[in-house]
Amino acid sequence: MTQIPELPFERSERDRVVAGICAGIAVALGVDATLVRLVFALLALAGGAGILLYLALWVWAGRDRPIFAVLILALAAMALLGALGVPWTVFLGAGLLLAGLVLLVRRGATLRPGGGSLFIPGIALAMAGAVVMLDHLGRSHAFLAPGALAGAFALVLGPWVWQLTRERGERIRLAERSAIAARIHDSVLQTLALVQRDADDPQRVRSHARRQERELRRWLYGSGYGSAQTFADALAEAAADVEEGHSIRVELATAGDAPLDDALTQAVLAAREAMTNAAKHAGTEEIAVYAELDEEVASVFVRDRGAGFDRSVVAADRRGIAESIEGRMQRAGGSATIHSSPGNGTEVELTMPRRNR
Amino acid sequence: MIRVVLVDDHELFRAGVRGELAGLVEIVGEAGSVAEAAPLIRDLDPDVVLLDVHLADGGGEAVIARVAPERPGVKFLALSVSDAAEDVIGVIRAGARGYVTKTISRDELADAIRRIAEGDAVFSPRLAGFVLDAFRSGEPVGADAELETLTPREREVLQLIARGYLYKEIAARLHLSVKTIEAHVSSVLRKLQLSSRHELARWAHERRLA
Repeated sequence: MTQIPELPFERSERDRVVAGICAGIAVALGVDATLVRLVFALLALAGGAGILLYLALWVWAGRDRPIFAVLILALAAMALLGALGVPWTVFLGAGLLLAGLVLLVRRGATLRPGGGSLFIPGIALAMAGAVVMLDHLGRSHAFLAPGALAGAFALVLGPWVWQLTRERGERIRLAERSAIAARIHDSVLQTLALVQRDADDPQRVRSHARRQERELRRWLYGSGYGSAQTFADALAEAAADVEEGHSIRVELATAGDAPLDDALTQAVLAAREAMTNAAKHAGTEEIAVYAELDEEVASVFVRDRGAGFDRSVVAADRRGIAESIEGRMQRAGGSATIHSSPGNGTEVELTMPRRNR
Repeated sequence: MIRVVLVDDHELFRAGVRGELAGLVEIVGEAGSVAEAAPLIRDLDPDVVLLDVHLADGGGEAVIARVAPERPGVKFLALSVSDAAEDVIGVIRAGARGYVTKTISRDELADAIRRIAEGDAVFSPRLAGFVLDAFRSGEPVGADAELETLTPREREVLQLIARGYLYKEIAARLHLSVKTIEAHVSSVLRKLQLSSRHELARWAHERRLA
């Protein structure tokens, strides 16, 4: 049962008119009992508040029905305020608010997360009280209401929001960690398994390592695969594709960059074809690719130190050079020059003027 | 034989390089961190330090900064898998005389070490691309215009390096001697290290943001 404080006086057994309350108060305060009775009589005129207060104190002194005592006290206060001309809504609001807060505190709820359970009826009462009170205040002090309401909300909801935000941050960190774990599992561990399996074949081990390196790099430095936005990124992608498809190393260097447009895309595709040709026919382990881009022109050089060839004896059905490199560049407004001779390697030079710039 | 110290935080990679270079150069010491490397290089006073751009406790720049003032004769060759231009340029500006990628072949690496030991600069195609990019455009700033721009000839040499040509091939193509090509590359290295060109800083900053 709810405990209430003991009254600071005792009912008088000897000197009593009704229950000895007034005499008890008079003894405690050291004044004449008649004075106290007079005060109660005056209060009784204020909407019956004096009578209700007397009853409340009587019940209180009995110490076995505290709830009734509180209720009667509340009625007494209401009657008094009513008599003084204060709207009853204010009192109702304040009463509810107080009751709510008392419930909260008694339930051991603190306003910090994890400090105890928030008691729903307590919150409901407190909120209802705040709303009722603010409803009244809104009429005379319109500017107070929104602020006070916001304050009440912040007080009650703030700790929850804080806790939710912290949990959300935690969840994001966990999600990131598991994404990294998944990535490492899918790629790095997979590659290490492949490397162990192919340990006797240096060529394949090298190609596994290169592929993994490119994948990690792409992931770490954030240029998504297949979505290159710039000339240099697209060339890097093309180089990576050729490396992967033909187990050859492409040493790429670039100076300058620009957003990819149609003409530059054609230049990248022609360069890719030149790299593929070198990978297929040159018989070397490495291709050097250099791309330079300024305001007027984009140039790409694809060079290998391989077999080389004589253009005049290349079969007409090998359309790679004529169609995919020279034809493509010319249609896009550029040009391709091929320097090669047997035994001296090959260099394909692509030039694309940059119009509209 | 050329005395080399190997600084790289990957034990496996050091073992690989040691094996590859056996008989070509003499590996006199190895270190896996800046803290280990600095005293080791001071004690051993090697001809060349093969220096990883990325180390757990500071990177190649930190090693050079600690050692170079006391051992001006030691030459540094940066070695990295890094794609990040600002890291590579940073080590070069700190004092390394060259940069090669870790995928370099055994013979090319031995050759690069020899050239570094002789006082030449060693530019891989990728470094040449970075440098051309850094000096690409813009009017010279600062008081010393000579340091702020590349001459047409230097640009031509760098472009050919970026295209994968060897020094002797470049010399033949431009009808110059190999010594002249080396002089041009050394001159570019000097500009790279001394230039206050704001393009270099701005460009590195852009790269970092990208």
